[in-house]
Order: sequence, then structure tokens, then C-alpha cells
Amino acid sequence: MSKKSNSDNPGFTRHGKNDYVANFSPSEKEVLINLVQQIIELLGERADNHSEDPLAAMVGITSHDSPPEDEVLLRLLPNAYSDQVEAAEFRRYTELTLRAKKSVNAVSMHTDLMNSTDGCIDIDHQGANAWLGAMNDIRLALGVRLKVVSNTYEELEILAPDDPMRGVYAVYSWLGWLQESLIQALMDDAL
Amino acid sequence: MVKIDEAPATEIKEDLEEAINAAFISDKPWVTIVWDDPVNLMSYVTYVLMKLFNFTREKAHVLMMQVHTQGKAVVSTGSREEMERDVSQLHEYGLWATLQRSDQEL
Repeated sequence: MSKKSNSDNPGFTRHGKNDYVANFSPSEKEVLINLVQQIIELLGERADNHSEDPLAAMVGITSHDSPPEDEVLLRLLPNAYSDQVEAAEFRRYTELTLRAKKSVNAVSMHTDLMNSTDGCIDIDHQGANAWLGAMNDIRLALGVRLKVVSNTYEELEILAPDDPMRGVYAVYSWLGWLQESLIQALMDDAL
Repeated sequence: MVKIDEAPATEIKEDLEEAINAAFISDKPWVTIVWDDPVNLMSYVTYVLMKLFNFTREKAHVLMMQVHTQGKAVVSTGSREEMERDVSQLHEYGLWATLQRSDQEL
């Protein structure tokens, strides 16, 4: 886990009991739309990869029982058991629901961004929790791509100026700060 | 079938509570474990534990710190079905969680 420090920009702030507000520049908004779109597509690809039995899908059963090969998808849809056989059985009955819930969060965030003409996001408690989940999924995905597991923050901080991962790390850090601001706003609510 | 005519000879003793607890614990042989990962924010893990399990901020913070410093923490105990539900919800929030029998080595 990691700690995040504050910045001058407040990020998300709470206005009243059920109102969470943040303002984004056009480029920030564009980055957020791009990232959440990629999560939606990634989850969609997993669904498309197997032609799911429509009847089984109706009751939440998927033909997937093996974990995703893509590292990012595996982090978003992890095994529930260390035992591979038990993990496969559990996945068969639950992955569809998990994917659907993550998609709902991501689509909710995407819709809020697309509907905002001036970069102002104004959401209620439910919307805030959808954003929180979707932002976390984006950070998990970026964390896998940045190999945050094996690279230290110090190593990531000093990436060469021409390293393409440098920009990705900047976005990852910024998202961590943004997520932290929303958590603090929500935690005030939880008190 | 059993017919009860009179109170049993054995008296109810103060260790009854312990015996009852033991009986229920043996009936709840599964645990949900949250594992440390380098991406999830400490405040986020605390928030999710408060929200999903109705823990106080203090209790959620203690468990979060246990995950952070020891690499893992048991966050709930119960039947297999209950633990599968807890793990599903934790996965929904992006926490790295698994379930296992309570007597299985962590």
C-alpha cells in the first residue's frame, strides 16, 4: 500500500451531505476518459473472448474457469482460492458478476465525464463510490503495467525523461492523489 | 424421539459460555484474508473495510496496518458461503483477498 500527500488543488471536496465535486482541466478530463474507456474495453474483451452460453449467463455462470492470461485482467479478476481447482470453480460462478460490477462503475465514471461540458464533476454518494472503484481499477491496471510490485517508488520517480513509462507514472501518481481526495471526502461522511 | 421428563442432573456451570463459543467456532471454519499490495492506498483499504464490514475507523485502521506491516490479515470468519460473499465484495473493490479453512496455514 502507499501513502499520498496533499496538493494545492483540492481534488474532490464534499459539498453538503451527499454532494462531491471536482474540477478538471480539458486535458485532465481527456486523460480520465481515455483511461476509463480502456478499462471498459479490457473487461469487454474478456467477455468477448468466450462465447458465453446465454442461458448460463442469465444465471451468472460463465464459461471462464481459468484465470485471465493478461496480468492486468488477472489483477482486476483475481483468484479467490490459492487452490487452482477451487479457484476455477468459484470463478465459473462469480466472474461474470464481478466483471459486470466493475463495468458498471467504469461506465458510470465515463458517463459523468462525457456529460460534463466545463470539466466540473458533481456526483452523489453512489456516484462517488462508483468513481472510487473505477479509479482504483485504473490504478491497479497502471500499477501492473508500471510493475509497481517489483519497482520501488524511488526507481519510478527517476525514470529517464524519454522513458515512455515516465508519463504513465505521472498519471498513476496524479490518480492516487485524486483518489485520496475522494476517500477523505467520503470518510468525513462515514464518521 | 426424546421425551424430557425432568431437568438434567448436570448443572449449568460458568464454563458454559466457553463451551458454546467453542461449538460455534467449530461451525465457522473459514476465514477471509486480505493480502498486501503496493497499489491500493492505505486510506482506501481502511475505507473499504469500514464500508463492507461496518468496522469502526479504529478497527479498520488496525487491520489495514496489519495487512501493511505483516503482509496479510484475517478480516472475517464464518461459513464458506459467507466468506465467498466477503471475498467477492473485496474483489469488487479491488482488494486482493482469498478465503481458506481457518486451520489451513496462512
